[in-house]
Amino acid sequence: MNKINWKKEARLLPGYLIVGIWVLFTAVMLFWILGASLSTSREIFSGQIFKFESGFHFENYATAWKAQNVSVFFANSLLYSVISCVGVLAISAPAAYVLSRWEFTGGKALRIGLVIAMSVPVIMVIMPIYSLSVQWGIKGRVLLVILYIMLRVPYTTIYLLDFFSTLSRTYEEAAYLDGCSGPKTFLKIMLPLVQPAIITVTIFNFMSVWNEFFMALIFTSSESMAPVGVGLLNIINSMKYTGQYGGMFAAVIIVFLPTFLLYIFMSEKIIAGVTGGGVKG
Amino acid sequence: MRKNKAMIFWFCMPALLSLVLMFVYPVCRTVLMSFFRVESVTATMADWSFFGFGNYSKIFGSTSFMISMKNMLLIWIVGGVFTLALAMLMAVTVTSGIRGKKFFRAAIYMPNIISAVALATMWIQYIFNYDYGMLNTIVQFLGGDKIKWLGTDLKFWAMTGSFIFGSVGYYMLIYISGIEGIPQDLYEAATIDGAGKVHQFTHITLPLLKGVLKTSVTFWSINTTTFFLWTKMFSPIDTESSTIVPVIYLYDMVFGGKGITQRDAGAGAAVGVVLTLIIIAVYLVTERLFKGNDLEY
Repeated sequence: MNKINWKKEARLLPGYLIVGIWVLFTAVMLFWILGASLSTSREIFSGQIFKFESGFHFENYATAWKAQNVSVFFANSLLYSVISCVGVLAISAPAAYVLSRWEFTGGKALRIGLVIAMSVPVIMVIMPIYSLSVQWGIKGRVLLVILYIMLRVPYTTIYLLDFFSTLSRTYEEAAYLDGCSGPKTFLKIMLPLVQPAIITVTIFNFMSVWNEFFMALIFTSSESMAPVGVGLLNIINSMKYTGQYGGMFAAVIIVFLPTFLLYIFMSEKIIAGVTGGGVKG
Repeated sequence: MRKNKAMIFWFCMPALLSLVLMFVYPVCRTVLMSFFRVESVTATMADWSFFGFGNYSKIFGSTSFMISMKNMLLIWIVGGVFTLALAMLMAVTVTSGIRGKKFFRAAIYMPNIISAVALATMWIQYIFNYDYGMLNTIVQFLGGDKIKWLGTDLKFWAMTGSFIFGSVGYYMLIYISGIEGIPQDLYEAATIDGAGKVHQFTHITLPLLKGVLKTSVTFWSINTTTFFLWTKMFSPIDTESSTIVPVIYLYDMVFGGKGITQRDAGAGAAVGVVLTLIIIAVYLVTERLFKGNDLEY
């Protein structure tokens, strides 16, 4: 630890104030929501939430989880996120590897197509996909998972491609001399080598699918297949009738927690990933 | 290395297929659809009838669409200025040598990783709440009267404000990565020459961040043209003119909403094309504006 240079710190005081106020605001907001999720509606409205005079109302969480169906939304989101993360890797990793290693007809076009696809707004694709899905009779959970996988393919492929191209070709040459086939080399040698990139890209895919809202709103026809975002919106819309403020704030905390916890443990990796791929002047 | 053609083919096929199914085909079909009279989104191409620029004149003649465009423009300009300026302020502050740099950086970026639905709910149900909300508590503490933040007059700004809060962290990270790429000796030399902090910022930091600024403006434009979630949260049941944005207009047109007597997928497609053209135009303009003498360092 360096000795504190008070003169330097005093000069930085305005800076501390700027970021300090911003972070304090965020913290107050989160703590208040946490407090409210453990209080009754009456306490919330009378501004008494941090006194907990009637105790901690953990039953709010039980209400949210069971009566307000958050357990269903949570399970759906988990299902969508996990399957999509695995599926997108199965499609993107082989393509990224091949694209990074060989020049072939259409390879460059595929690469450019993937880069452009990353910035295509969803509104440009949603209508034809809707009509195709009706035409082909694909719907519900299966449809959402397929869409999430395909939606994440461009980003994942380009991200992994950059990593594969940094690997030396000597690995493959050695494997080839030992009689290892191309696909086997990819699975046993190359894939483990890009493991850090796979972890990063999977975190991003997970968070993106977990937080996805637009397609979920359009393609979930019933509450039983709604992910957390759409589910939370339904809870809020029905609040007028239930008046369960504590339960609603508990639902907010439950929805907020998974990606937040992931972030607490992996913030360095996530932050490095945000600016690592693609964002270069 | 030996080129294994079969392997290349089978390794690329699934990715190529998703690209075509999810992006190439839908984009082409949406563009085509915008020139046809198409009522239901599920109508087969056989039921389409050619309409020329009819859909385009329809949407530009529609009051709700023009209001939605005006709202989007306001979010783009006012929200953009505040978001990017705040992000730059945070980025410069975080990299100025303060303690706990990693903590502040992580904490300011945090709103970007949580569910935006949850974040919007926190703002609507707590910060802006009339009875027990944070803002009204502060207003009352200062001796003022409670304000209806979510009333018709202020709703748009409440929405834009909370959207700005949720966005700053992302652009801050982009700026930080740019700032950290600038060699420190430039600042040391400037300090020796007697240049103050502000002077250093306008004469070293900003000019060297050209590329990063360009990226941030393009990303911001994509974010505002596809603005949807926050409006849906602030006006969950009925579309209101105070918060309507083009994607909401499109959504109501295509999938049904209050006040839409006849669905019109063709008009929806036209909205999509217009928004995409706007993104491309902004991209080309910023590319031009920030072009020329790319500084080497």
